[in-house]
Amino acid sequence: MIDAVFVPTAVLFGGAALEIVLARFLSRSAKGWLAFAIAVVALLSVTPLLPEVRDGQALSATLLDWDAAVPLAYHVDGLSVLFMLMGTGIGAAILLYSVGYMKEEEHGTTRFYSLMLVFIGGLMVLVCSANLLIMYFAWELIGLCSYFLVSFWYQQQPAADGARKVLIITHFAGYGLLAAIMLLYARSGTFLWTDPAIAAALSTGIVVLMLVAAMAKSVMYPLHTWIPEAMNAPTPVSALLHSACYVKAGVFLVARMYSIGPWQAMAPALLLVGCVTMFVGVVFALKQTDLKRLLAFHTVSQLGYIVTGLALNTGLGVAAGLYYIASHALFKGTLFMCAGAVQHATGTRDLRQLGGLYSRMPVTTGIWIVAAAAIMGVPMTNGFVAKWLLFDAALDAHQAVVVLIAWAVSMLTAFSFLKATVSGFFGSPPSQTSAQQIREVPVSMQLGMGVLAGSCVLFGVAPQLLLVPVVAPAVLSLGFAWDVQTNWLGVATGSDSVGVTAGALAVLTAALLGAGAYRLVRSPTGNAVPVFSGGDPLPIGDRLGPSDFAEMAETAFKPVYSLDPDPIYLRIWGGIRDFAAAVGRVAAARVERHAPVAVAACTAGVCVGVWLL
Amino acid sequence: MALILPGCFAILALAIGLYSMSVRQGAAMWWLLAGGIALLVVAATLLGHSWMATILLDIAELAAVALVWVRGTPAAARAARMYLYSIVPAIGCTLVGLTIIGSGAEAPSLVLQKLAVCLLIIGFALKLGLIPFYFWLPEVAASAAPMSAAVVIAIVDIATFSELAGLREVAPWIFERFAPVWTAIALLSMAGGAVLALAQSELKRMLAFSSVTDLGLLLLGVLAGGVGLTGAWVGALNHALSKVILFGAVGIAEYRLGRPVTLDTRGLAKAIPLASAAFVIGAFGLIGVPPGFGFAGYWRLYSAAAQYGGPPLIAFLVVVAALDLLCYARAIHRTWYGSAPVTLASQQPVYLASGVLTCLAACEVLLGLWPSVLTGFASPLVAQALLP
Repeated sequence: MIDAVFVPTAVLFGGAALEIVLARFLSRSAKGWLAFAIAVVALLSVTPLLPEVRDGQALSATLLDWDAAVPLAYHVDGLSVLFMLMGTGIGAAILLYSVGYMKEEEHGTTRFYSLMLVFIGGLMVLVCSANLLIMYFAWELIGLCSYFLVSFWYQQQPAADGARKVLIITHFAGYGLLAAIMLLYARSGTFLWTDPAIAAALSTGIVVLMLVAAMAKSVMYPLHTWIPEAMNAPTPVSALLHSACYVKAGVFLVARMYSIGPWQAMAPALLLVGCVTMFVGVVFALKQTDLKRLLAFHTVSQLGYIVTGLALNTGLGVAAGLYYIASHALFKGTLFMCAGAVQHATGTRDLRQLGGLYSRMPVTTGIWIVAAAAIMGVPMTNGFVAKWLLFDAALDAHQAVVVLIAWAVSMLTAFSFLKATVSGFFGSPPSQTSAQQIREVPVSMQLGMGVLAGSCVLFGVAPQLLLVPVVAPAVLSLGFAWDVQTNWLGVATGSDSVGVTAGALAVLTAALLGAGAYRLVRSPTGNAVPVFSGGDPLPIGDRLGPSDFAEMAETAFKPVYSLDPDPIYLRIWGGIRDFAAAVGRVAAARVERHAPVAVAACTAGVCVGVWLL
Repeated sequence: MALILPGCFAILALAIGLYSMSVRQGAAMWWLLAGGIALLVVAATLLGHSWMATILLDIAELAAVALVWVRGTPAAARAARMYLYSIVPAIGCTLVGLTIIGSGAEAPSLVLQKLAVCLLIIGFALKLGLIPFYFWLPEVAASAAPMSAAVVIAIVDIATFSELAGLREVAPWIFERFAPVWTAIALLSMAGGAVLALAQSELKRMLAFSSVTDLGLLLLGVLAGGVGLTGAWVGALNHALSKVILFGAVGIAEYRLGRPVTLDTRGLAKAIPLASAAFVIGAFGLIGVPPGFGFAGYWRLYSAAAQYGGPPLIAFLVVVAALDLLCYARAIHRTWYGSAPVTLASQQPVYLASGVLTCLAACEVLLGLWPSVLTGFASPLVAQALLP
């Protein structure tokens, strides 16, 4: 009988196979419902594992030999269960959303749903594996799933180009992980990271290789540039990629490093990378006018927060990072699904062609606002708790600069989402979309988004529901003590958190006052939003649009935009291509055209080489 | 391996035959030669390391020259001539070299050792198309019919490689004592093949150079011995499987287009989706991306490299793998994916050939998902190599 730890993986991979077997007999919707049901069963099969890992214990089991002398061994601890719950839970919500989203897709739904299930199943293997080689296998498996899902519309050039970038950047860095694993194996003689020999074999170089792989996967600067290009995928793919299954694989590896061995010497460098990433990500988000690209750059920024928390190297920091991981999965999944709903309803995700959706898509607008509030860190949402924990952890670790950067980035995040919300959902619709028949999305899509948005509020009001049963075991499993005290509506830590609490209360008060003032002076109609334009009033009917915001950001942050590493990558590729062409010309002219001479010369070279030995 | 290798060759030969019933590769002579080569190779690998096996393989190589020639085009005739000029001295070198070493168990005098090793290195490098002795391989790949190229690269070359790997077991001193020269050829083939593959615009030439890279890596595994040798065996099987898939996919594209497939060809996946999917799976399998079967060979080869050459050799392998990935990603995205319309010369569907490629691609993935089906079966060789 299969051990309980293997059940979620078996359900997901078996489900993917079932999708393929039953493809001929199922309608597009039925395939979606089947995938959703499989994800729910997987989620239900994860929940019994929670009590087993509650106090920092782990479950170990070996199923079979994947390859000769390479066992498929699982080591399921609190960290694994956190990621398993996230993958299956958010995956289920996204698959529910997909039922409506993919309903009109004529081709490839079997491919889509089976790949989505393998994607989630791959994450299960990654987070549970005690075997580093199997971990790498799962790492690349989810990489390949994301490649095929991003290139779902492979006949469209932007989708194909985006997929290639995903493949190249993440797979290149993945070779670093493989090299690190092989060097560890050569030194320790084992692939099992639970074996103490692995910790003894860890060196700075190996840690760097592993962290670089994690950085590429979790979109750390300067390896982040693939993620905005991956936006030409179906929205459920973007949602899964950004929220639960792909970028989180990188932060999982960072967190798992605490279990694998002493890597903390590199933590300050990673802290710096996290801070730079959160800032660069939000600044690039500010100038976007494409809703999904805007969200993609916010993923970069938010992952910067998470890595910063994990790199603080304290129990509180790790708790903040892990809570942030789950929170980000919830609100970013919701935001992407909302963006997909907007595109589904209007045919565009260009903020310059959107506006006034509140009156036509009130449910989507409401859900968007909840998720936007969460990413901004508005109290009573999980984003607030996550940021609060992080700020407190940074103060506790005497990293005031980190707090300042994170605070500034939060302000810019709020600014960016204000732009997106006002441009997309309020004001009057622009002429391009005003004549369109725009309707609210199907109920299954609303449910998918709504469940996650509801969770954002639930874990904002009662964070202990997530912190105590899920995050605490994960923190304990990484060897840290759990010293976070929780209560309703927020978190009171054991450290000196008066300042943070006061700040949070000020923000909450300001938000409530703002909402009250808005209610008093304006009726909630779909009219244009009046704004202070910096001088003379704008002509009647005119308003600040996303382009104005983008231009403003470009002017204000011009030096930051020059930090885009893509031109450097392009030059590297150009250099490789030119070098290859030059070698090809030389080979054709010297070796292939004068083959007998070349062979004679090489034969002489071999003879001399052998004779000298 | 005694049964697995000939079994795989037989299955691949059958696949090539079924494919060629759908996408015509040549007249009766082609079938006669291809069938003969398959029989010779299967018989040779069944016999193991012996004089008879060597002679059968040499006859298969000469038959492969004829297989290229029978296409009848001037380019094919030129390529066959180059192949012949390479194979005849190669056969001579290996036969004399093998005669000098005898059974291989005991090394002859130092002068004879050096003479034998020189001849063996040159002979096998010429036969396998290793750099700097590669000149015939791209010409043969580009000018022969796709399945003729597959027979040469996936069956004859891999059988020759198995002969070399067999020598590692019976006469290890050939490799251990003269490791620097073998290593230089292996590294040169890997790096040179990868760079030259990137320089190609025609897909079949690109596939030929990527074979050079792969054979260099396999040679490195043979040199390292132990887990590396096991990796080389597994990698050789994967090389044969994925090369048949890749040449098969390009062959279908050529058949439908009526011209060679180059990097200027666009959007083939829309017209021939199954061949496109097979090419993608074959490419990822060849370069060792999980869950392709190639990974089962690659991890062993990387592991052996970590023990054999430490971090510098691992870094070298990573660079070569990255170049390989760039090369295949470019081929996939420029030739197969994308929206550009493609004009087909032949509208006739090739169901059987597509079906064959689909089955082979499924094997590539299934064996990759659970390689112990094969590697476990390959025990005790694998067990001896892997277990302390």
